[in-house]
This record gives sequence, C-alpha cells and structure tokens, in this order.
Amino acid sequence: MAFNEPGQSPWDKRGNAPNMEDFLNQLQQRFGGHFRRFNVWLLAAAALVAWGLTGIYIVNPDEQAVVRTFGRMTRTSPPGIHYHVPWPVERVNVVKVAQIRSMELGFRTIMEGPPARVREFPLESLMITGDENLVNIQVVVQYRISDLPAYLFRVWDPTGNPEGRTLRDAAETALRGVAGSMTIDDILTIGRARVQDETKVHLQQLMDSYGTGLFITEVKLQAVEPPEPVQAAFKDVVSAKEDRERIINEARSYREDLLPKARGGAEQMLRAAEGYRESRVREAQGDSARFLAMLQEYRQAKTVTRRRLFLETMAEVLSKVDTVVISRSVAGKALPLLPLGETGTTPLPTPQGEPGRQAQTPRAGGSQ
Amino acid sequence: MKNRRIGLIALVVLAVALVGGTLFTIDETEQGIVIQFGKYVRTVNEPGLHMKLPFIQEVTTYDKRLLRYDAAPAEFLTRDKKALVVDIYARYRIVDPLKFYQTLRDLARAHARLDAIISSSLREAVASHDQSDIITEKREPIMAEVARETRTRSEEFGVRIVDVRIKRTDFPREIAESIYARMRAERGRISKRYRSEGAEEQLKIKAQTDKERTIILAEARRRSEEIRGKGDSEAIRIYAAALRQDSEFYAFLKSLDLYKTALKEGSKVVLSADSSLFQYLETPRPGQP
Repeated sequence: MAFNEPGQSPWDKRGNAPNMEDFLNQLQQRFGGHFRRFNVWLLAAAALVAWGLTGIYIVNPDEQAVVRTFGRMTRTSPPGIHYHVPWPVERVNVVKVAQIRSMELGFRTIMEGPPARVREFPLESLMITGDENLVNIQVVVQYRISDLPAYLFRVWDPTGNPEGRTLRDAAETALRGVAGSMTIDDILTIGRARVQDETKVHLQQLMDSYGTGLFITEVKLQAVEPPEPVQAAFKDVVSAKEDRERIINEARSYREDLLPKARGGAEQMLRAAEGYRESRVREAQGDSARFLAMLQEYRQAKTVTRRRLFLETMAEVLSKVDTVVISRSVAGKALPLLPLGETGTTPLPTPQGEPGRQAQTPRAGGSQ
Repeated sequence: MKNRRIGLIALVVLAVALVGGTLFTIDETEQGIVIQFGKYVRTVNEPGLHMKLPFIQEVTTYDKRLLRYDAAPAEFLTRDKKALVVDIYARYRIVDPLKFYQTLRDLARAHARLDAIISSSLREAVASHDQSDIITEKREPIMAEVARETRTRSEEFGVRIVDVRIKRTDFPREIAESIYARMRAERGRISKRYRSEGAEEQLKIKAQTDKERTIILAEARRRSEEIRGKGDSEAIRIYAAALRQDSEFYAFLKSLDLYKTALKEGSKVVLSADSSLFQYLETPRPGQP
C-alpha cells in the first residue's frame, strides 16, 4: 500500500500489482537507465518511511489503547500521541472506554427521531412469567468497558466484541430468568424496579464470570406490556378496577346524600313533636283558663247559668237539625228510626240530671 | 553481474523463508501446539514470539478465548408431558489444545459434539422436571446440573464448559393461542372480581346507609312520640288541675260543645216529649223534676 503514496499520477488509482508493474516500466522508459537505480531506492525509502509512519496513533481523552508486540500485550497507552513499531511487529487497538454504550433488547431504534422509529423484535421481547403468562418486555442495557484487555482478548464473539452476541445472550438470560420468577401482575405494576435491579445484578454476574470486561451501568425497562392478543383483556381489568372505584364512590355519594337528609328529617320530626307538645300545653292552658273563668261566673248563679247555656246550645243545635219529637203516649209504639244521620243520633240529657252516657267522657264523645 | 544478482535474490528469499519457518507468534487470544511430522512436541500458551524448527515442525493454533456454542431452539418434553421450546447457549474454552487436536481438530466438529452432549443432557434434565419448575424458580439449578454433567463429559475433548444457560423458554407455537385464551380467561376472572367487589362494597355501603337512616328516623320517631307524650301528659295535668275545681260543670260544658259540633246540618234527632226541653210543650207548668 505504501507504494501508492508517493505517486501522483492517475495510474496509481488502479492500485493493483500488474498496474504497478506497468507504472514502474513506464517510469523507467520515461527517465531512462540513468534514473532507474535511483528511482528504485527512492521508492524503497519512501515505502519505508510510509511504513514507519503507520505506527503513529492518537489516543483521545475518552479512549484507551492496548499494544500487542508479536501478539503479546505489552503496554496500554493513556490519552495522547503515541508510537508503536508498525505491523507486523506491533499492533494497537484504540477503544473508547469512557463512552456509555447501550444495547436494545426486544426492539431496535431505526431512527433516533423525534419521533423515534422503532422496530419491534417480538421473539426477543416475548417471555414467560412465573405464573405462566406471556409478557412483552423491552429493555435498554447501558454499559461501558471497565477492563479493556479482557474486553479485547478474553471472549470470542461472532461480532468481534463481547458486546455483540455475548452481552445480548446474557441479557436475555438474565431478563428471562427474572421474569420467570415474578408474576405478570408484579411485572406490569409494582415490580418494574425489581426487574431492572435483578436483571442488572444477574447480568453483571454473567459478564464477570465470562470475563468480558464490561460493566453494566443500568438496565432500563422500556415498554412492559401484555402481548397484543390479550391486551384488551388486560385493559378491561384496568377499567374493571376503575369501575369498582366508581361504584364504591357512587355508593359513598348515596350515603353522603342520604344520611344528612335523614338527620334533617329526624330533626324535623323532633321539632314537630316539640311544637305539638308546646301547642298541647298551651291549648290546655288556654282551655283551662277559659274554664276557670267561666266556672267563676257559674258559681255566682249556678242553676240559671246552667239552664241558659243549655237552652242556647239547644237553640243553636236544633235550628240546623231535623227534629222529631215523640210524645210519651206514643213512645212505646213508635218505630225506632235510629240511626238516621251520618253521625247518628245522640240521646240528649236533661239539663239538671246526669249527662248522657256518652257525655261522661267528653273527649271520647268527640271522636265517635 | 546478472548471476550475482540472481544469487542475492535467492539468498534473500531463502533467509525470509527460514525466518518465516522458524519464528511464529501466538496472539493474546490464541494458544498453539507444535507438531513434528504429525507428532505432538509441545504446547505454546504464552502469547508472543516463539521459535520452532523450520520446515519439519508446524504450529496449529486454537482460540484461547471463551468460546460460544449457540444451539438451535428445540422442543423438549417436560415431566408433566408438556412441550417446551428451549433455546440455550453454552460458553466453553479449549483448555487442553492437545486433546482437542487429537479428538476434534476443529470447532465445527467440537460444536457437533457439544450439541450431542448438551442436548441429551438437557433433554434428560427437562424430562425430570415439571414445566412450571423449568420456567420459574428451578431454572438456575437445572442449568447448573446440565453444565456439571456436560462438563465432565466434555473434558475428554480438552474442552471445559464454563456455563450452559437457557436463553429462552417458549411455549410451542401451536399452543400459543390456548395460552392466550387462558390469559384472557384469567383476566376476565380478575375483571369480574373487581366489579363484584365494587358491587359488594356498594351494597354494603347502601345497606349500612339505609340501616343508619332507618335508625335515625326511628330514633327520631321515638323521641318525638316521647315529646308528644310529655305534651299530652302536661296537657292532662293542666286540664285535671282546672277541672278538679268542678268536674260536673266541665262535663256539662263539654257536652254542650259536643252537641254543637257533633250534630251537623241535616242530622235527624228524635226527642222524647218528656225531655226537659219540651216540658212546656204538652203541659205548660213549672216544676217538672
């Protein structure tokens, strides 16, 4: 390759061996025998310099380098500009060790976005839970290189680095192991942090036991959801839960509505009763006051007053009712016509004598 | 001139060939064995530059790193006769390159052999456990057991199995729908439970509310009757206190009131002519008793 570098002619772009020969021949023809030897040495020296220059390498601040001399690791290089004896004596690997890298499990981001476009990998994300349900879990594993020589030389991986298949295998193993030890309800609700933590611990153990030189900084759950065919059923559980709360709230509002009203009604009843009590007492007081007042006057002239009251009442009563008077001579033969009116007939007492039977209890008489 | 030059070139070529045949490198990731005419001479483990006899000795290198064997997912039958698709991987390394060279030679053959060992061991392990155990808690011990068994069986190839892991366990595709059906049924059950719990709580609250309401009203009724009773008794006491003065006069007055209110318009009253009202009707003289 180094032979290409000094040449500026258009031929060197083709760059393969026969063309190189042509190129040299043409050079020789053009410059003639005198220059031939000189040119060969010049080219050889240029090639040597170019070869030597390939040993320069720069290590950026976030990088670290490992140098192998004849395949054996001889030194690591801190950030800065360095030199190694070029291939095939020494080889250098410069790797970004400070960088936090991430691996997606169960999905791949196609476009960063926003909006991000993501392709799902159901085969990776669908897993069995401890209660033999299926759940979709997508995670992002974040990691960095903690041991560069181990990262480079200890683990074989089809992609070249342990972060290829090795990390993915182990992450799947760890995540599925954790999912298999939990119920689907835990995973979907309160157990997310536990999934993350346990997966991280388990994954780190695997990384250490394989000697990958990787340090897992974080395992982050992305989507955690039931598989598509059963999502409706899971959503229904959520809405059932809400329904439960709603129904209970309705019942509570029924309670809130009813009890104050009942208390109000009770209060109303009590007040009514108190009103009744007061009115009864006052009525009695009024009645008795009236009676006492009348009694006082009555005592002045008992017989006359009594007769007057009786006759006044009779006058009032008899003026509005139909009255049949039966003489003693026909009394025995008359057909009893009772009862005649709605309220019946009442034998009237003689004003001097005992009051009629029904009149003995005044209140009872009123109710008949 | 020309001959000398050809000789020089030949010498250089020879020197390069000699150096190339003598020196060899072992990388950090490699280990090698030196073989002389098919006969093992020594193992080279240390990375770096090494020497051997040119032309008669040759070096075979093997990977020293942790190697990976990824089995294709396969269906196994558990003890409770349920099918389970298990996808595993194993990590191993070549610890004895000589044995490896003698028995297997290359990785392709190694993988074929590992496949046989691991899958038979796994089949046995899966067959002696229930499906739920493999899915859940016992996964780790089962795999540790498989790793232990395959480790002893693979030692004769110069291979040490570090780890055998279940990457995935899946239900066979054919029963996926029945799993989903079961999940749906289970969720349906949970939904019903939530709704019924709601209804239960609702009924409880309503019943409690109704009970409290009834009690409140009944208590109010009781107390109001008491109050009414007190009113009545008070009234009776008041009446009695007044009427005691002249109960006969009260009875007389009340009776008169009664006649006024009880006898309505249109009532028929039959009176005897003997009544004191009519004492003057037939014989108008005073003194009727």
